[in-house]
Amino acid sequence: MTDSLFSKGVTEALNFSAVERLCITEPDWLRERREHAWALYEQTPMPTTKLEEWRYTDLRKQLQLDTLSLSQATVVSDDPTAWPKRLRKAMKEDRQASGHIVVIDGHVVHSDLEAELIAKGVILSSLHDAIEQHPSLVENWLATEAVPPEEGKFAALNAALWSDGIFLYVPADVQLNTPIRVTRWLSEAGVAQFGRVLILAENASRISYVDEILSDDFSKQTFASNAVEIIAKERAQVQYVSVQRLGRGAFYQSVQRTLAYRDASLDTLNVALGASVSRVDLNACLLGERANSDMLGLYFGDDDQHFDFNTSQDHISPDTASDLLYKGALDAASRAVFRGIIRVKPTAQRTDAYQTNRNLLLSGNARADSLPNLEIEADDVKCSHGATVGELDPEAKFYLMSRGLSRIQAERLVVLGFLGEVLSKLPLGGVVEKVTRVIEEKLSQH
Amino acid sequence: MSSEPMSDTHILKIESLEAKVATENLDILNGVNLEIGKGEVHAIMGPNGSGKSTLAKILAGHPSYEATAGRVLFKGQNLFELDVDERSRAGIFLAFQYPVEIPGVSIANFLRTALQAHLVDEEELDIFEFTDMLTERMSMLEMDISFAERHVNDGFSGGEKKRNEILQMAVLRPTLAVMDETDSGLDIDALKIVANGVNKLTEEDPEMSILLITHYQRLLNYIKPDFVHVMVDGRLVRSGGPEIALELEKDGYKNWKDSGAVSSGVPKTA
Ligand SMILES: Nc1ncnc2c1ncn2[C@@H]1O[C@H](COP(=O)(O)OP(=O)(O)OP(=O)(O)O)[C@@H](O)[C@H]1O
Ligand SMILES: [Mg+2]
Repeated sequence: MTDSLFSKGVTEALNFSAVERLCITEPDWLRERREHAWALYEQTPMPTTKLEEWRYTDLRKQLQLDTLSLSQATVVSDDPTAWPKRLRKAMKEDRQASGHIVVIDGHVVHSDLEAELIAKGVILSSLHDAIEQHPSLVENWLATEAVPPEEGKFAALNAALWSDGIFLYVPADVQLNTPIRVTRWLSEAGVAQFGRVLILAENASRISYVDEILSDDFSKQTFASNAVEIIAKERAQVQYVSVQRLGRGAFYQSVQRTLAYRDASLDTLNVALGASVSRVDLNACLLGERANSDMLGLYFGDDDQHFDFNTSQDHISPDTASDLLYKGALDAASRAVFRGIIRVKPTAQRTDAYQTNRNLLLSGNARADSLPNLEIEADDVKCSHGATVGELDPEAKFYLMSRGLSRIQAERLVVLGFLGEVLSKLPLGGVVEKVTRVIEEKLSQH
Repeated sequence: MSSEPMSDTHILKIESLEAKVATENLDILNGVNLEIGKGEVHAIMGPNGSGKSTLAKILAGHPSYEATAGRVLFKGQNLFELDVDERSRAGIFLAFQYPVEIPGVSIANFLRTALQAHLVDEEELDIFEFTDMLTERMSMLEMDISFAERHVNDGFSGGEKKRNEILQMAVLRPTLAVMDETDSGLDIDALKIVANGVNKLTEEDPEMSILLITHYQRLLNYIKPDFVHVMVDGRLVRSGGPEIALELEKDGYKNWKDSGAVSSGVPKTA
């Protein structure tokens, strides 16, 4: 691919006519939005390692955009026996849920929600259905305030080419006691798949949402793009969990933004276990007074997996708080990049903002780069950031082995203990067990 | 594997053991001889830096140390042929002078994993039996049951760490317990509780042998040694009965801290 073509990112599959094909059955406002997004995409150069935010992820080497095609998959029936076995297994591990969505190759094939919640006005559906049934809600919030195409090259690409997504709406004062569980499966190798999530939690509502994406290994590079928009209105409580378990060959790219209004608490957990390359951009916006966000991240790399997290904590209003903890273990020749910034606006006095990134290297070939940053424009704030990259403590290993644990068991316990701190902060039923099990699987190959 | 007919009574036999720091030319043990019989309690006393902990760690298989001469037989088997975890499963337990913190791992989970590792032939640990047993062991050591959910040694006080060592010993029930300064850091009440716990274990298994490392006579009032040894400069320079501890309490090590005395094994001014 020539320099200028690479920079533009227009290919045989990813081009304006692909956008037009998607628009055929869609309302005008959406067509305009997609076309606008596409124009921005073409204008925005492909990020290069010259940009600080992309210094350690070289798209030129890691992303074969011109080999990607668009999904040809047809809609699988809403019948679990027709679904891949691993997808069903992943669902079975999930404990109680208020509702489910199943997405296979970009199509929402199943959704269910407790009748009582439907009666209270909760909406859980595919984005396409939501556009037909609740057009104004979606029009207000889809790719506008949270992840607009102006956000960057990939946000623009996603806003232009998304094929389907998930819409979750919780009316004021409605509180869900168990999570919404979303399970996505990708089967087509060599495709680019674009999905979105839009969660809108009205005043004093409460919701937790767990989104798991998985696949087998791919023979050709497969691109999974995701745009996540989460809005927590006043006093709302939202927990968002993403578990990425894609197979090797996948390039996972996710742009996420959370908007927390007054007294809202909006927590996120990003778990990255799979894919060959994984890039997550997360921005937490503390818009209203006393808004609060806990931001958790956990990753475990082996082989030559590459994880890149780019986070920002934007404090706009006074008395807001954010607390970020990202922890990862890296085996073999895997690599992680964490780049985080806390930004405190002059209007955000009495902000509490913390940021911690800790890495555990399990092999001499693994590597972690941690780049924490602060940009503080208010004077009355409490902020701290810290980063560590360490190796497995040989004294800890000796201690555990001296109690009869094998070398592998000892390492497993130390690593799980190290990572477990993250999970213990957001102990959603089923998530802890599942993530622990997948990490154990990866450790057993150590 | 070299093994020789085990005498009925000896559980541990250390012969002319010399050892150094693995990564440098620093000799620490300079010919240690020690035999411990079934059910015997031995105490080693000695000045700071004389090599007591090194001996203890070598018995447990710490990778920082390397034996350069001599041998150690445990139940007649060459100890150095066993890896750290195998020694534990064979029945050696080391109560650490400085227990290690393992963040994120609960005591219950750790001990369950350890005990499971001690079971033979893929026998499955019964989780209910385990919980009952752990509860009972904790109450024996007057530990609050909530401790089981705390992370191993993480943020523990010095005394809590030591008590946690003995809890592990009480759960794993070794044949040879090496206790490295378990008494330091314990308050007077805690010392009694821990000592009573150890004595209970000896009652349960009269064949359990103990190697105590301590600086203070006080512990030996509660756990009565059959033999007391004095270590100076990496050698056991004197062995005898409990009266040695009383002598040391009175006179300290001044009579022993001279190379001439060490080689003769007799106090200079005796
Ligand atoms: N890994 C090591 N590297 C360098 N020197 C060491 C190492 N381990 C022990 N030593 C040295 O060997 C000597 C013996 O140490 P050891 O810990 O065995 O003493 P000790 O008799 O247990 O002392 P204390 O009564 O203070 O606990 C000391 O001088 C110590 O500094
Ligand atoms: Mg010592």
